[in-house]
Amino acid sequence: MRNARSLGIALVIILALVFVPFVSDSEKSYLIFFLFLTFCHIVLTQGWNLAAGYTGQISLGNHAFFALGAYTTAMIWRADLFRTGHYYFDPVTMALSGVVPAVFALAIGIPLLGKLRGDYFALGTLGFGEIVKVAFIKGGNFTGGPIGIMLPSSVYTTLKPHYWTALFLAVLATAVVYFMSRSRVGLALVAIREDETAAASSGISVLKYKVLAFAIGAFLIGVCGSVYAYYLFQVSPDGFLILKWTLYPILMCVIGGSGTVIGPIVGALVMTGVFTAANIYLPSIHPIFSGIIIILVMLFMPNGIVRLRERGAQGQ
Amino acid sequence: MLEYLTVGLLLQLVINGILFGAMYGLAAIGLSLIFGTMRIVFLAQGAVIVLMAYLCYWLFTLFHIDPYVSTPLLGIIALLLGAGLYQVLFRRAVRMEDKNISLLIAVGLMFLLENFMAVAWTPDPRSISTSYTSSSISIGTLDISFTRLLGFAMAMLATGAVTLFLKRTFVGKAVRAASEDIEAARLVGVNPHWVNTMAFAIGIGLSGIAGIAVSTTYPFDPYFGFVFSLKAMIALALGGLGSVSGALLGGIILGLLESLAAFFISGGWADAIGYAVFLLVLLFRPEGLFVRSIKKA
Repeated sequence: MRNARSLGIALVIILALVFVPFVSDSEKSYLIFFLFLTFCHIVLTQGWNLAAGYTGQISLGNHAFFALGAYTTAMIWRADLFRTGHYYFDPVTMALSGVVPAVFALAIGIPLLGKLRGDYFALGTLGFGEIVKVAFIKGGNFTGGPIGIMLPSSVYTTLKPHYWTALFLAVLATAVVYFMSRSRVGLALVAIREDETAAASSGISVLKYKVLAFAIGAFLIGVCGSVYAYYLFQVSPDGFLILKWTLYPILMCVIGGSGTVIGPIVGALVMTGVFTAANIYLPSIHPIFSGIIIILVMLFMPNGIVRLRERGAQGQ
Repeated sequence: MLEYLTVGLLLQLVINGILFGAMYGLAAIGLSLIFGTMRIVFLAQGAVIVLMAYLCYWLFTLFHIDPYVSTPLLGIIALLLGAGLYQVLFRRAVRMEDKNISLLIAVGLMFLLENFMAVAWTPDPRSISTSYTSSSISIGTLDISFTRLLGFAMAMLATGAVTLFLKRTFVGKAVRAASEDIEAARLVGVNPHWVNTMAFAIGIGLSGIAGIAVSTTYPFDPYFGFVFSLKAMIALALGGLGSVSGALLGGIILGLLESLAAFFISGGWADAIGYAVFLLVLLFRPEGLFVRSIKKA
């Protein structure tokens, strides 16, 4: 009963969001851009949440997946790979931009997750991110080096397709997390997080599930990178291969409540708001402010916003 | 490139690598102490080093205090800063099961420090130049920079002092006991907060020394620290956790590797090679290169 109602509320909110661009002028209003950015953050946050929040495998290399997705889109477009000349929001290109990071996630996930636990996995993925960064900067003509790849920005007319695609992705990512958390897979993931040895001795293939969560996360993040490439039109190391794309989602996830379905959405909305406000009102010291917010939130509500209510309920 | 290679040049590369690697080593020892006792991946270590470099720069430009004269002062400031950081930021987080929290506090601190420095001292690179910073000692065809050599000597002294402290004093033994098994240490009466405060103070104290060594040797900017943290982490992984001399040695190996890779392959790839070695070590010898296989269950 409660689930049916939550689902109903979610549907109403999604429908309302779908119609926002018809009401608000997407070229003049800041709202559309703000929501677009929030949706992107939700996708990235859910992607991280899947491996870290549910399975307990903290990845610090997700910006590499984001960049791999963006670069895949840019390279397919530049090379005119399908000979169609039409790559702007092309579903096949976008899907491939998710597949490439997912393949990378499998390739590094199997050895890293098989051998490393906890902090070591975090350090390993951090190393992976840095290797990808150096490789793209030094990649010569293939990757465009430090300048990156310029896409034909003349195709841009409005932000509306970005908005809807990002909304779709955010809903998709949340749905994936929701269904995984309620299925056998989700139970296996949580079991692994809580006690890996116990999970393994109950017959759960620990590595398989860890890698699965990691790769699905990478797929979602890669597609989001593709959408962001359609927005920036310049896919460069400075824009994509920066730790911000890993750290912000982690921050949003933990602030909202990691290992929950709603937490990443709340976290992404709140933090995108905070960052945007800080950017507008305190432009020069905005990152200092963000640093202080991170520390304060971690000190005073380390379990996230959505769990505040749980704790309140327990207290009674 | 190989046609320029002589024995002298190779030696020069090796020496430069070792001297610079000692800086990584210093930072790695700090990380090792903090990680060993509290399981905190203290990513802000590099930012603290750069902060100390700025303080050193400041004392030098404003009050004309020679960097090496200000060493004791900065060392004490860094020790106090370390103790303060633990008490204010990490005291609660350390007790929590979820290690994300302490990691994120460190990330927040890094953000805060980097950008504070960028606002306070502009993002332009700075360097200290005194009468002796450009002088060097020549042995045959070798040129050894005076400040780098002094930095290396300071790294060695600091490592020696920390090793003695950990082995000979009661508090040091408590720190080591806590990093091996916190529960057992608590059972025999070790106060974990006291131990953690000490570990943090010493870890950050070392970054004070590293800061001075960096400020006199290399140009630095507010964002220089993050890469330094990463390198220190690699050094730590190479040397193995919980070993002070291992961390220093790991740093030196990384310095050597980078110096040689920068010459034989190319400057930009040197970083990637450092990370690749790091990944390989994590995969095949996660206990570090110098630990004689102690496999934990």
